[in-house]
Amino acid sequence: MYCGQQRRLGWHTALAALAALSCALPAHTAADFPVAEVAPGVFVHLGKPLALEAAGHDDIANLGFIIGSRCVAVIDTGGSVRIGRALRGAIRARTTLPVCYVINTHVHVDHVLGNAAFQAPATRFIGHAQLAAALSQSREFFLKNYAGDLDAPPGPQQIIGPDTMVAIDTDLELDLGARHLHLRAWPKAHTDSDLTVFDDSTATLWTGDLLFVQRTPALDGSIKGWLAALERMSAVPAKHVVPGHGPPSGDLPAALEPQRRYLQALLVGLRQEIADGKPLQAAIREINPEHSGWLLWDETHPRNVARVYQELEWE
Amino acid sequence: MSRFWNMLSALLVLSATAALADTEAPVNGAWQNMRGHLYGTRDIGEMGDELMSIEAPASTPDPAATPIVVRFGKDLAGKVKQVRVIIDNNPSPLATTMNLEAGLPVDEIDLRVRIDRFTSVRAIAETRDGHLEMRSAWVNASGGCSAPPSAAQGGTLGEIRFRPSSDESALQISIRHPNNSGFQIDPRSGDPIPPHFISRIRLLANGQTVLDAETGISLSENPTLRIATRGPLPASLTVEATDIPSQALYSATWNGPGSAHP
Repeated sequence: MYCGQQRRLGWHTALAALAALSCALPAHTAADFPVAEVAPGVFVHLGKPLALEAAGHDDIANLGFIIGSRCVAVIDTGGSVRIGRALRGAIRARTTLPVCYVINTHVHVDHVLGNAAFQAPATRFIGHAQLAAALSQSREFFLKNYAGDLDAPPGPQQIIGPDTMVAIDTDLELDLGARHLHLRAWPKAHTDSDLTVFDDSTATLWTGDLLFVQRTPALDGSIKGWLAALERMSAVPAKHVVPGHGPPSGDLPAALEPQRRYLQALLVGLRQEIADGKPLQAAIREINPEHSGWLLWDETHPRNVARVYQELEWE
Repeated sequence: MSRFWNMLSALLVLSATAALADTEAPVNGAWQNMRGHLYGTRDIGEMGDELMSIEAPASTPDPAATPIVVRFGKDLAGKVKQVRVIIDNNPSPLATTMNLEAGLPVDEIDLRVRIDRFTSVRAIAETRDGHLEMRSAWVNASGGCSAPPSAAQGGTLGEIRFRPSSDESALQISIRHPNNSGFQIDPRSGDPIPPHFISRIRLLANGQTVLDAETGISLSENPTLRIATRGPLPASLTVEATDIPSQALYSATWNGPGSAHP
């Protein structure tokens, strides 16, 4: 748990202090939604390391915004309209510039359900080429399982998809005034709608859930695609890294390494199970690599095993 | 006195269980109605793991592909002529009716199934002399029937793969097929994907049927059946799988140990 945990120096310590503070305060206060400026004009709100079923599950993903001279870009909006509004409040506390872009790094509920808080005529919603399709597959599931995270009465119109999409393996450049964001859409990896954001003026890379730090990585796409994406992403000349979950850092290859090792162990271990003729339930029992230290291991790891097994058995 | 308290606490536990069942899931779901239809008033043994057991994850790692294992003890192996698997709270509860012929002494059957919500999963075995045994397990899950296709979607429709265990006592048979339940959504149109599933899986040895399973939309994508036996596996096994709605017949033959793929 990062609550109470102190790590690293400089703004990393500031973030940890803010996180610790947020644990001590009651809900619905301004201080309950801390954001830290990890680089000039780049603000991050750290999600809490909670399960998707836990109380407070709408605030588990890292969210944030980047302020240019002309306007603001939001990167992920949280797991409820309430969290989206809290993020909007944090922006308003720092600038009067309009929000011109809302960027979703992928389809998962903890990153998109706050979109409704940012609907405005001049605001564009941007995502991966597959995001609209992925959202249309998920709308019913979200409404059934996360209705309480929408405004009453909940309805599909509150689950807002992209109006601008980025094709796989291409970049989209956004001009915020005095700084440019480079959005890249990735082939199927964590999900089939992963998008990363690179801010050129501070060399900050927002990985979305292509990178989990401390929290067990959750696979909803392709193990082979994810490992390939990590390989390519490690070459990005980033000075600051904001993962989808867990604390930011300043060393991209080092931040990627624990997750790469975990995914690689899954790949190797499950290929062997399949080659040995072991059934799925045996693989779930037997494949248990490097679990020490990952948060929410029991909630996440067995599902990863099931997913990877099914992907690899048709190689 | 202590007896009174024991009874009282037992009553409290019972009423708490009943309250939970009312709000979370019906105790017997579809089974309540199906029992009479399928087995009338015949006695069904339900006790102990010696004769028979069922293994299912209490909280499934993948609602769309939950592994279910039915095992027979030595007194039942080889004597079972039919096994049904029923997932009480699925839209189509009867996952399979599987007829086993004498001569293939199956002592374990594995399936991968879709589970739509918190449910009891039960297996009912009928022996050749007409004895019935049932075992059940609770599985917590959400959305297995409407889950989008997995990373393993696609490939050659109807391709069949065989995977023997290293000691050659078990054989896994997997069929490349979306096994669309009818409850999944096409992301482009927003409309339901029509049901498209394997309706029957037949295993033949030397031209004789040894296992004949009626299946349906509760099987996972890329339907998988694994059988383990006490005796040696047949020297060769042919699989025939029937597609609905096309009625296409997919077939492949496993030529015994050392031939993993057809």
